[in-house]
Amino acid sequence: MSAFIPEGTRDVLPPEWAQREAIRAQLSGLFSRWGYRGVEVPALEYASAHHPQDAVAFKLIDSGGQVLSLRSEFTTAVGRLVRTRYPHGPFPLRLQYSGRLWLRAQNSELGRLREFNQLGVELIGVESARSDAELLHLAAAALREVGVGAALEVGYPGFVDAVLEDAGLHGAARAALHDAIDRKSGADVDLLCGQFGLGGDTRRTLHALTDLYGGPEVLDAAQALARGTRAQEAVAHLRHVAALYAGPLLFDLGVSRRYDYYTGLTFRAYAPGLNQPVLGGGRYALEGGLPGAGFALGLERLMRALAGDLPPEPELVLALDLAAADAARAQGLHAELAWTDDRTELQAFSAARGIHRWASTQGGTLTFQSATEVTL
Amino acid sequence: MTPAPTRDPGHLTLALPKGRILEDAIALLSQAGLPLTMPEKSRALRHEFPGVTVLELRNQDVPVYVDLGVADAGIVGKDVLIESGRTVYEPVDLRFAGCRLSLIREVGADGDITRVGTKYPRAARTYLNARGIPAEIVKLSGNIELACLTGLADAVVDLVQTGSTLRANNLEEVDVLFHSTARLVVNRAALKTRRERLRPLIERLRELTSQ
Repeated sequence: MSAFIPEGTRDVLPPEWAQREAIRAQLSGLFSRWGYRGVEVPALEYASAHHPQDAVAFKLIDSGGQVLSLRSEFTTAVGRLVRTRYPHGPFPLRLQYSGRLWLRAQNSELGRLREFNQLGVELIGVESARSDAELLHLAAAALREVGVGAALEVGYPGFVDAVLEDAGLHGAARAALHDAIDRKSGADVDLLCGQFGLGGDTRRTLHALTDLYGGPEVLDAAQALARGTRAQEAVAHLRHVAALYAGPLLFDLGVSRRYDYYTGLTFRAYAPGLNQPVLGGGRYALEGGLPGAGFALGLERLMRALAGDLPPEPELVLALDLAAADAARAQGLHAELAWTDDRTELQAFSAARGIHRWASTQGGTLTFQSATEVTL
Repeated sequence: MTPAPTRDPGHLTLALPKGRILEDAIALLSQAGLPLTMPEKSRALRHEFPGVTVLELRNQDVPVYVDLGVADAGIVGKDVLIESGRTVYEPVDLRFAGCRLSLIREVGADGDITRVGTKYPRAARTYLNARGIPAEIVKLSGNIELACLTGLADAVVDLVQTGSTLRANNLEEVDVLFHSTARLVVNRAALKTRRERLRPLIERLRELTSQ
């Protein structure tokens, strides 16, 4: 057996395990209190070229020759579950999930693993400013719950698409400009404008898209750029959501990543000092057209944002008999059972394990003795 | 180690390539109001200034440091940025360190292109695929012109600044893949979380390069 594990995977050891479990419990508890019921979906899926992450998912072949994928995102899997298990709702359907994901192409880099964990929610079957605002409220509550101070930023990939449509751009030209605008590359916007013969107002508008980020003033700037109804409706919708949310929000209306997947707003959360988002989500349409929206938190990213704030754990004692262990646990302590009467061995173990007290029962009462002062 | 989450939220970490670009970059950034001076010749690779840390890197490593967020922003040539395939923001064309990435052959060569030597395999592959040329790519690290002259490859994709090396070696530019200049690159999250420092810097750099 190799002593190594594949690149991009990792072992989780006890102090971190406890913190991860605590975060999972906090978040699933919060989601439950908001009415989001938990589901589990298989980690093995049928591979499909229509899956949004098909190009980066791990593939396996089963004994029948069927190509399977390892789960690479939750939204598609939960969407499949909804279509088959809850085709008639009742909607809105609020679901939560938690588990591992695998990405084949992911390099093993800082904060980017090939095997990683996400927790998240999906709000399916309704499409309204109020349901978008609910998800922003829940996202903010989730970050508060685990003690990560993060800023929420909202985008609307369809806004960029609408502005490009209003500029008369289609096909490859529109796709290339989406990419340049998403990278906020004014130089590439210029280059493409030159290639596609766009000048004057159009060029200025496309440049302005690369600077449409910041506070609520961004919405005014966006409104000034919005000529067609689609673009205007996007801005009006964001104003409505922002008013319902009523908390501090950042905006970036130049975000256009996966503009063909998201059907409404998108959002992410940035924790100070951590240059990778800890949460991301948005509005989409399921296969068959059912509207949905949701978000996920990256467990490993959250752990980095919390960097070593381990939750306090109860004291661990060594119980010399079963009754003492039960009594100690009843007092809220953690108790490991002695496995031998050899006190030298028990003392060596206590020192190595950081155990300060031994518990025993004498005449039915629980008594403690200091592990270092035990008479041998 | 991980970027210290305790760092003052206004602090900036910049990734700059060592060598000639570093001098131009430091000059431009200090003109833009950052308190930077050209570091003394020393073995130090990390230079501390008031509110700014400068990391001195190989130019291929600048996009890596910025994409992964260890640096908030950096300066790097568009050629290196394209080759890196990294998704970072590139809000300012700094308009120095100009050059072009070109397809180069021996003067008069007109046979099929079957093997291409280059330091830029990603850019070369994109170019060849777009033209339906099924050539093999040989990744090299330096003196790419030799690949053509020795028959290792029947064309090369390489940077051209003045063209004098080409003329001295009986080579000619057949096509230009793209023109490159130095770019300000910014980490996607840092642009938002440190925008009070980065946004004015971007504005100032645009003014200085008259955009």
